[in-house]
Amino acid sequence: MIALIASAFFVVAASLPPQQASPSSPTESVAQGPGDFDQLAQAAKRAREEDHDDSAIDSYRQALILKPGWDEGLWYLGALLYEKENYSEACTIFRRFLAQNPGNGYGWAMLGLSEYESHEYTRALDHLQQSLLTGLGDNKRMKATVYYDTSILLTRSEQFDESMDLLLARVAAGEDTSTLVEPLGLAALRLPFLPDEIPADSREMIRIAGEAVLALEEQHYADADKLFDQLESTYPDQPGVHFLIGVHLLDSRPEDGIKELKREIEISPSHVPARVRLADQYIKEQKIDLGLQYAQEALKLAPGSASGHMVLGEGLIAKGDSVGGIQELEIARKASPDMVRIHWDLVRAYTAAGRVADADREKSEIERLSKEDQAH
Amino acid sequence: MTFSRPVMFRVFPLLAVLSMAVQAAPSPPLQSPLGPSFDEIVQQADSARTANQVSEAIVLYRQAVQLRPSWSDGWMWLGDLLYEQDRFPEAQDSFGHFLALTPAPGPAWAMKALCEFEMRDYSHSLKDFEKWMHGGNQGNEALTDVAAFHTAMLLTQERHFDQALSLLTERAHRSGETPLLVEAMGLASLRMPNLPGDYPPGLREQVWLAGKATFYLSIQEFERGQAYSHRLLTDYGQQPQVHYINGLLLKAQSKSDQASQEFHMELQISPRNSQAMLELSLIDIDKGKLQEAMSLSQQAVQIDPANPETHRVLGQVLLAKGQTKASAQELESAERLAPENAATHFQLAMAYRRLGRKQDTQREMSTYLAIKKRRPAQNDSVKARDASHSPEAPQ
Repeated sequence: MIALIASAFFVVAASLPPQQASPSSPTESVAQGPGDFDQLAQAAKRAREEDHDDSAIDSYRQALILKPGWDEGLWYLGALLYEKENYSEACTIFRRFLAQNPGNGYGWAMLGLSEYESHEYTRALDHLQQSLLTGLGDNKRMKATVYYDTSILLTRSEQFDESMDLLLARVAAGEDTSTLVEPLGLAALRLPFLPDEIPADSREMIRIAGEAVLALEEQHYADADKLFDQLESTYPDQPGVHFLIGVHLLDSRPEDGIKELKREIEISPSHVPARVRLADQYIKEQKIDLGLQYAQEALKLAPGSASGHMVLGEGLIAKGDSVGGIQELEIARKASPDMVRIHWDLVRAYTAAGRVADADREKSEIERLSKEDQAH
Repeated sequence: MTFSRPVMFRVFPLLAVLSMAVQAAPSPPLQSPLGPSFDEIVQQADSARTANQVSEAIVLYRQAVQLRPSWSDGWMWLGDLLYEQDRFPEAQDSFGHFLALTPAPGPAWAMKALCEFEMRDYSHSLKDFEKWMHGGNQGNEALTDVAAFHTAMLLTQERHFDQALSLLTERAHRSGETPLLVEAMGLASLRMPNLPGDYPPGLREQVWLAGKATFYLSIQEFERGQAYSHRLLTDYGQQPQVHYINGLLLKAQSKSDQASQEFHMELQISPRNSQAMLELSLIDIDKGKLQEAMSLSQQAVQIDPANPETHRVLGQVLLAKGQTKASAQELESAERLAPENAATHFQLAMAYRRLGRKQDTQREMSTYLAIKKRRPAQNDSVKARDASHSPEAPQ
C-alpha cells in the first residue's frame, strides 16, 4: 500500500497548483509570518522524504494551522496518517482536501480507502465510486485497489449484479484472478459479506462458486461444469447454489436451468432474481403468461426491482399490450437509468409505437452509457 | 452502475425562519479596517451560496462571523455549508456557536449531533440528538429520517436496544429496506452494542440474518422473516436471541404455542433474558395463566428494572388480576422510563378508569392518541397488542 500511495503522491503533486506552498484560499489562512510557514513546510517535506513519518506529520499539522487551506500539506498529511493507520483523522484531512479539490479522483479514492479501513462502509462505497467517476488516470495499482474495494463493498450492500459486472471487468482486463475468487463467489451466491466476513464453514462453498464463475468467464467450460457439479452435490440445500447453477444452465440446457431456478425458489421462497430469470426465460420461449406470472411474483416481493419491471414490460409488449409494456419499461428506467437493456427495449417499443423522438433519445442514452463504460 | 454522493440536506430554510425572530438587533455597519464592510461580505456570501459556490461562500461567511460573532444566521449557514462539504469538526463548531446564540434552535441540535457522530464523539452526539428530540424532532423529512436513524444506532451502542428497535421499525415503515437498516436492526435484535460495520467480522452473517428476520417482522411480512429466521436457527441456534427472534415471528402469526416453545428455548440458552420472560408472560395472560404470568414478569422486573417494558408487562398482569392500584404504580414506573410508549398510556388509562380517576384517564387517553398520531409505526404494534390484551376500552 505504501508504494501505491507514493505513486499517487506523485500524480497528485503534479496536479497541484504551482504555488504549492501557498494556501489555495488566502482568506482562510491565519495571519502569521510567511517564514514560519515556509520553514515548517520545508521541515515536513524533508522529514517525509527521509521517512521520518511522525516528525513529518507533526510539521504538516503545524504548517496547516498557519495555512489551513494548503493543498499539498493536506494531501501529504492525509496520506501519512493513512500509512500510520490513523484512518479516522485521515478521513478528516482528506475531506478538507476534497472540499478544495472536488475534481481530484485520487482524493476521493484515499478518502474512500480511509473510510473502508474505519469500517464506514456506506460512505466508503460512495466515495470510491466517486473516485472512479472522477477518474484515476493511469495509476493501475491505485485503480486495481479501488475497483477491488468497490466491488466487495457493492456485494456487502447487496448490489450483487453491479459487483459481478465490476469483477468480471477486472477478469477481462487481465488482473490477477487469485484475489477475485472469493469476491466472485460471494457475488454469485448473493451473500452480502466482505471476504473477511465469510463464515468459516461457508468458505469452501464460496471458493468453489468463485472458481466456477471464473472458469466460465475464461471459457474453460469443462472445468466450470465440474465445479458446478461439485457445488450442487456438496451443497444441495444452501441458498443461492441452485440459482447460480440455473442461470449457468439457461443458455445450454434451458429445461434444466428452469428446474434449478424452481428448486432455488423452494429453498429461498422469496428469491426475486430467480423469479426474474424464470420470467425472462419463459418470455424468450414465448410462454408469455408463465413469464408474466413470475414477473408479477417478483414485483410483489420487490416492488422497486428494475429487472422485474423490465421483464414485465417485455412480456406485456410480447403479448401485444404496448401501452402497459412501455409504462413498465419506463418505471424500470427510472429505477435503474444505467441499465442498457431497458433503453434498447424502449427504443424498440417507442419505434413500434411511432414515437420517433423518444426512440432517438433512448439511442443517445445508449451511446452515452456505452462511452461511459469504455471510459471505465 | 450508479454513482452517487451521499444524500445532502439543506436545513437552512427552517433554521432561517426560526432564527429570524431572535436575530440580534440591527447593528451599525461594521467596517473591516482593510476590506469590505460586514454587509458587503454578507451580500457576497449569499450570492456565492445561491450560485452554489460552496467553498467561496464558506470563506465569506467565516469572514462575516469573525466581524460580527453575534450573527446567528451566519454561523448557521456556515455550519450548513461545511456539513455539505463533510467538514464535520468545523461544521460542529459553527452549529455550536449558532446554538449558543439562539433560544429556538430547531434542527440545529440534530445537525450538531450528526457532525459529532461523524467525528466519533458518540456520547455528545447522543446527548444532542436527545435535545433535538425533546425539542420536537424539528427539521425536514430527510433530516428527521437521518437523525432518527443515527439516534437508533447510538441507542444500540448504549444498550437501549428496544428504544433503538422502535425507531428502526418506524424507519422500516417509512423508507423500506436498505442494507444499512437491516444491519442496524440485526445488531439491535441480537443485543450487540455495536455500530454497523464495527464488530468482529465473524459475526456478520448472524447480524445479517437477524436483521433480515427482524426487518420483515417489523413490516409484517412474516413468511419472508421466517425464512431468514430458519437460516439463523440452523446456523446459530445455540446463540442468544436467536430463538427469541423466531418466537416473535411465530407469535406475530398467532402461533402462540410454537412461540412459547421458542421463548422457553431462549431461556435455556440465556436464563436471564427478561424479554423472553415478558413475551411468555403476555402469552400466559392470553391463556388466563395469570399466576405464571405474574411470576415471570416479576422475575423480569428484578433482572431488568431499568427496562420500561418489564414494568409495563407487570402492570398489565396486575391489571388482569384485578390488583389495580399496584398495576397503576408499575405502569407509572414504565411511563417515567419511556414516556413515548403508546401502549403504556393506553393501559394506564384503563387502570385509572377502574380506580375512578376520571381526569387522569382522559389525560392518558389523549397522550395515547397523540403518540399514535405522531408515530404511526408504533401504532401498528400497539394496535396488535391492544387487540390481544385489552379486556375493555377506556372511556
